[in-house]
Amino acid sequence: MSDKKPKVVFENVSKEFDVKGEKLHVLEDIDLVVNEGELVCLLGPSGCGKSTLLNIAGGFEAPTSGTIKIDGELITAPDPRRVFVFQEYGIFPWASVWDNVVLGLRHLPSDKQHTIAGEIIDLVGLSGFEKTYPMALSGGMKQRVEVARALAVSPDVLYMDEPFGALDSLTRLTMRSELIRIWKDLDPTILFVTHDVDEAIQLAERVVVFSSRPGRIAGIVEIDLDHPRDLGSAQYGVIKNQLYELLGVSHLI
Amino acid sequence: MTAALMAIGIGAALFLLGTRTPARVQNVLLPVCVTTILVGLWDLACVVSGTTVFPTPAKTWAAFGEIVESERLWGDTVASLFRVTWGFLGAAAVGIPLGLVVGWSTRTFRALNPIIQGLRPISPIAWIPIAILWFGIGDGAGIFLIFLSSFFPITVGTMAAVRNISLVHQRSAMNFQMTGLDLFRRVVLPASLPQIITSLRISLGVAWLVIVAAEMVGMDSGLGYLINDARNAGSRYDLVVATMIIIGLIGIVLDLLIRQLEKFDEVRWGYVNR
Repeated sequence: MSDKKPKVVFENVSKEFDVKGEKLHVLEDIDLVVNEGELVCLLGPSGCGKSTLLNIAGGFEAPTSGTIKIDGELITAPDPRRVFVFQEYGIFPWASVWDNVVLGLRHLPSDKQHTIAGEIIDLVGLSGFEKTYPMALSGGMKQRVEVARALAVSPDVLYMDEPFGALDSLTRLTMRSELIRIWKDLDPTILFVTHDVDEAIQLAERVVVFSSRPGRIAGIVEIDLDHPRDLGSAQYGVIKNQLYELLGVSHLI
Repeated sequence: MTAALMAIGIGAALFLLGTRTPARVQNVLLPVCVTTILVGLWDLACVVSGTTVFPTPAKTWAAFGEIVESERLWGDTVASLFRVTWGFLGAAAVGIPLGLVVGWSTRTFRALNPIIQGLRPISPIAWIPIAILWFGIGDGAGIFLIFLSSFFPITVGTMAAVRNISLVHQRSAMNFQMTGLDLFRRVVLPASLPQIITSLRISLGVAWLVIVAAEMVGMDSGLGYLINDARNAGSRYDLVVATMIIIGLIGIVLDLLIRQLEKFDEVRWGYVNR
């Protein structure tokens, strides 16, 4: 994390959508460099284009102008070297936990599949559930499966689009600390989209704050706190105020 | 007899509703009570109207025994089921792959969807003259008609299922670079399967309706023909009603059988509220 090699580079990225003949500016001139092994949160209100930016970085959508490069290579299509974790369960409900996790390993010989999938399932705490179908799992466990499926292919970059948004607040806390543990263990670059200020402070090394319509970068806040982070510390409060200010919301209600 | 039946039915129903009988028991016994009351009303209607043509429940029950003993029932049931089975399986064998491809490929969809939608509203019954022209009176025509009646709901249902695959699942497949047969086997087919099974279920129900009509109009065997024959052979309405009941019972069994497909782990996710 200290070598600071640029991994994902956004240059002048803009995106427009045609909505009933009218142009809708979703993103305007996004310039951002995410370093290798960094955990960056994209924070902003709903509809600020942060998910669109992630979709463009994932290769699912094309920017109207500008470029996104990973290791200097222009992104044009989805690739298993960078894996998406969706909010609404991208895992396949028709396949068992095991079959979901080995999805990205299907071209490998089966003994290799077994070693990797076994390790990853262990890592996300799903041992014993290999034969279970997602329907029988709780929301948190489904997201563990999805994270496991992503990690199984040892991606360079993880794109996480509000992955814990559908979970209850206690499960969310657990999942965040699990994510930090896994991130420290495997060291992937993570771009994490959220609209939850606390989530951003708890996870990120840097928080990129978006303003809404058109989405622009309102500011970037470094979070220089060691994990595990003390949610009650004075510094935590200071950063929170800073982020609320950038978002243009009052922290007093 | 009427009064007795209705009294038993109403009494038992009131007893069941009044006491704390488990839901499972009620599920079985309440319909039995209602049926008893309806049979009582049927009998009452026959007595009051003084009809000599329409059969009473007792006469229908006797007719039941008569068809079973005459051994015609077996042959006609087999004839109907034979046509439905092969027509239905043929339609599934062609309709599911076609629906998968047409649903997935936008170009094929553009080219074929208008034709499919244009042929779909034509009642299979309207095809009877052509079916007889091509296949003669017999199993061939029956199978062809059932094929037609099942083919459109299965194909259209499969197409719709594929086009409804959630964006998240499509993108997951793209993210892991699935293409061609791999994509169809691991994502397109399993994602559509619950809805495909629903369309199979609907088609089988329709097939069972259509075969009876087809046999009444253009065939010389089968349960539909049995009904026609009973009416023509001296207005045996007791046989007509008994056959109708048998057709209904076989329909229930067919539906129960095809519903077993919904119970596999691979498709159960499609039928529960998420």
